[in-house]
Amino acid sequence: MRGKKKKVPRVGRQEERVAYLCLIPAFLGVSLISYVPTIAVFILSFFEWNGLTAPKFVGVGNFVRIFTKDIYFRDSIQSTVLYAFLAVVGAVIYSLIIALLLNMDIKGRALFRSIFFIPYLLPAIGVFKGWEWLYEGNFGLFNFLLRMMGISPQRFLNSPDQVIPSLVLIAIWTSGNLIVIFLAGLQNVPRVYMEAARIDGANAWQRFVNVTVPSISPIIFYNVLTALITHLQVINPALALTNGGPGKKSMFMSYVIYLYGFQKNKMGYAAAYSVIFFLIVGIFTMILFKTQKSQLFGEEK
Amino acid sequence: MTRITIKRKKNRKEKLMNIIATIIILILSAFVLLPIWWIFRSSLMSTATINQYPPSFIPHEWLWDNYATALETFEYWKYFKNTFSIIIPAVTFGTITAIFCGYAFARLRFRGKKIFFNICVGTILLPGMVTLIPLYVMWTKGLGLGDTYWPLILPFLTGGGFFNIFLIRQFFMTLPTELDEAASIDGAGRMRILWTILVPSIKPAIVVVGMMLFIQVWNDLLQQIIYINSMEKFTFAVALTNFTGSFGTNWPVALAATFMTILPGIVIYILGQKSFVEGIVLTGMKN
Repeated sequence: MRGKKKKVPRVGRQEERVAYLCLIPAFLGVSLISYVPTIAVFILSFFEWNGLTAPKFVGVGNFVRIFTKDIYFRDSIQSTVLYAFLAVVGAVIYSLIIALLLNMDIKGRALFRSIFFIPYLLPAIGVFKGWEWLYEGNFGLFNFLLRMMGISPQRFLNSPDQVIPSLVLIAIWTSGNLIVIFLAGLQNVPRVYMEAARIDGANAWQRFVNVTVPSISPIIFYNVLTALITHLQVINPALALTNGGPGKKSMFMSYVIYLYGFQKNKMGYAAAYSVIFFLIVGIFTMILFKTQKSQLFGEEK
Repeated sequence: MTRITIKRKKNRKEKLMNIIATIIILILSAFVLLPIWWIFRSSLMSTATINQYPPSFIPHEWLWDNYATALETFEYWKYFKNTFSIIIPAVTFGTITAIFCGYAFARLRFRGKKIFFNICVGTILLPGMVTLIPLYVMWTKGLGLGDTYWPLILPFLTGGGFFNIFLIRQFFMTLPTELDEAASIDGAGRMRILWTILVPSIKPAIVVVGMMLFIQVWNDLLQQIIYINSMEKFTFAVALTNFTGSFGTNWPVALAATFMTILPGIVIYILGQKSFVEGIVLTGMKN
């Protein structure tokens, strides 16, 4: 007994050394790229700083200004949350449906898989420029299709009401990464369970709800989480297409941070905005984890 | 007897479902491809024909000249070189370091594992937008790396973000530990087990991580805008933003440039597709 017990730590120490060596990159990333800058952003948020002269301590002044006087604040929260919500729901449902279809025994699966995946691989800026043309008011493809169906032309990106849904549609179109991850998950659903359910007389919907969904629930969670965090940080459409317009309807929070930090050189003010943004992302992620409360991120037994 | 008939009935039902699925997939993929085709078709038209009503799905004449014009004004190969001198190191380092970290979390026992893992999980709450300003200050004012590619590459030496490490860990965890044990009885060291047995078994995850890193750099318009100042160093993303801005209404030429920046992504996918598909098939065979 004793001898055995003694042996474990020695093997363990070697194992530990390997582990620590392997984790050096993660450690550097976690500290230098994530935590230290986050602490820095909190500190910076209490200062007024143009990036050149010495920072001036202003206490909670930046926050007070944001909550009371800022011209973008309300719109930026509204548009960010609306966009993220629609994009996450849309992209997850769309990609799950496509993955389920692609998981069936159909001909040319590999080709179809590529077709749905390719939009994801296209550079964002190219995608936005291309879609800008599709949404174009007079000669764009979508207005042509609408006219064919007898619907009057829409203004899409130039319309305050349609700009967010129009951008969400692009986000859904480019969500091929979610499809691939769903597909990998679906292929790991034990076939035995499927067969068992089938023998028990479960129909396709029952099999989906009772076998497929529980088996891939960690994958669903992973996809919802990644999509949520990606879409809350949305900025590319504003940088490449809308500049926050029309009105302030696509003034996403990230874009506002960019405007203050890099266009108006108000580093401290932008840092305060980042802090608020951080809290919003935190709240949404927390809610998501609460609804999941599974062992996904925990340790293996 | 009855068993056989049930089976046949099921097969017919399944076949019907597969046909329906194929039809749905066909329609959906037409919708997915339409935007790409529309960009391509518009890039080959003249400013006059592009504005005709009703628009035609196929160009009247194929004006490859638009591409020549775009190449002339849009220094494609320069931006190509610039973009890939960020992408190649970023993707390589990111994938390798993610494998090491994912391995440690999935397979090794060490003190402080749980705490460190949770600290890493915490980083997903600290998205890039939050850390943007302090990082910018650090890279440019602290380390003097403004207007270089380093701020865009160096962060990838850290596993390219916890999502990638996590994905690789999850896939490693699906592999039976008997696999490592058998190999270590045969005298293989940990690193050999990792690179010769474990890594090839999770090829799909690695290809997925590689592609995600690729697209992460590709799409990181914001950081490329703030870190790259001189036109000599412009990437596709930065250049295209400025290019179409200056082109105003000349849609065909702007779209030709757009289409050319889209192409490398498609080519790389086609090149990597075999291992990608193989990978997905591989995971499927594990049951």
